[in-house]
Amino acid sequence: MAARGGLWLIYALGGGWGHLTRAAALALASLPRNRIRILTNSPYAARVHSALPQLDLVILDPSLPLKTARHETIRQVEAANPECLIVDTFPRGLGGELPQSLAALAATKVLVHRDLNPEYVAESNLHSFVASNFDLVLIPGEGEGAAFHDLPAAAITEPWLVRDPQPRARPGGTSRVVVCTSGNPDELAWYGQAVSSLRTLDPGLDICCVAPARPPGCPEDCWVEHWPASDLYSTADAVIGGAGYNVIHECAACQVSLIARPWPRKYDRQWMRARRAINNGWARIVETPMEAAIAATDQMKQPLIHERVKIRNGASGAVALIERKISSPPATSPAR
Amino acid sequence: MSPSDFKCPRRAGFLFPHECDRQSPIGCTDCDNGQMNDPFAQRTDRYNYTGYDNYAGVGLAGLHHNPNDFTEADGEKLVRSKKQYEDDMTAS
Repeated sequence: MAARGGLWLIYALGGGWGHLTRAAALALASLPRNRIRILTNSPYAARVHSALPQLDLVILDPSLPLKTARHETIRQVEAANPECLIVDTFPRGLGGELPQSLAALAATKVLVHRDLNPEYVAESNLHSFVASNFDLVLIPGEGEGAAFHDLPAAAITEPWLVRDPQPRARPGGTSRVVVCTSGNPDELAWYGQAVSSLRTLDPGLDICCVAPARPPGCPEDCWVEHWPASDLYSTADAVIGGAGYNVIHECAACQVSLIARPWPRKYDRQWMRARRAINNGWARIVETPMEAAIAATDQMKQPLIHERVKIRNGASGAVALIERKISSPPATSPAR
Repeated sequence: MSPSDFKCPRRAGFLFPHECDRQSPIGCTDCDNGQMNDPFAQRTDRYNYTGYDNYAGVGLAGLHHNPNDFTEADGEKLVRSKKQYEDDMTAS
């Protein structure tokens, strides 16, 4: 059995930025009280590590064949022998590799319940799997946890942010649009076209396109490489982005309007999240780059919202819930 | 063998047989925890109907092939195409 005061291992496998960024938010809130390790296969892990060198990251090659990736993941989980295993989004693991490890580990098991495709939930009978394998189900933001929110082990926190929201700080009197690209390289061209459309519509606009590589069509002087992109949101009058977990909640926390282009994902329902943001009155949905550019320039003339409900960083609350669960008597563990 | 490598050899389904896509026979209500060899053929909830995987029609002249008969290919089409999950370590 893992000793008390032992390692918290965050399983954050998955493409793009989202899983790793959410894990980093939790880790930052937990350090230095707890020992944290993040298991990731994000292609952007090295960039995150250079921004947060204090994090203990185990980086798997994202190009590993499926079978090798599953075996390597299991090996890392078993070698860590964590006091607490925190699984982001995928209860059975992204490759379905975790069930045996979950059953064998004496650790406290926590699921971070981001939105999950209900078809997958039903096909894999995940509701009963989660009920019998996890001690705590953390829902990082109301609306994320549609599949398992009814479980006794479920608890909702405010969204987890890798940076606490900063006060608005617009540079000079110039209007600024931040274009935040998604993690999928195939989608970069869309953002490049959005930038060039913005420049055509309003040549005097300050445009800041934050991306790991310069998108095709994006002028060199508009491109910056920076993580986390949310550092730039407090300087923006509008953000053009996708509708993934981080950009949606970060824009809400920074009180900046989001022009959202939801992208199809295998497990995440970005359209649902974008619609919730619309209902809250601070986002618009677009499909084409030109629609995004027009919506952003409109935003300069007519702000959607002047003052919204303040969102705090929910990561500290999540850490407190995990600590409480670890120190609670074993009788509260799920039936196996 | 790890559960993720498991490939169930059994047939499941009610009207048409299809591959069982479960990760393990443990807890499977179709094969009753692996006790049935062919859950499709051994179903007991079809009342008096039998021969569910026999698609040959019975005409006036007896059993023969009728071009309007259902075939196994029709069965394949009626089974919902299964989206693959847990097969891409770069998904989100």
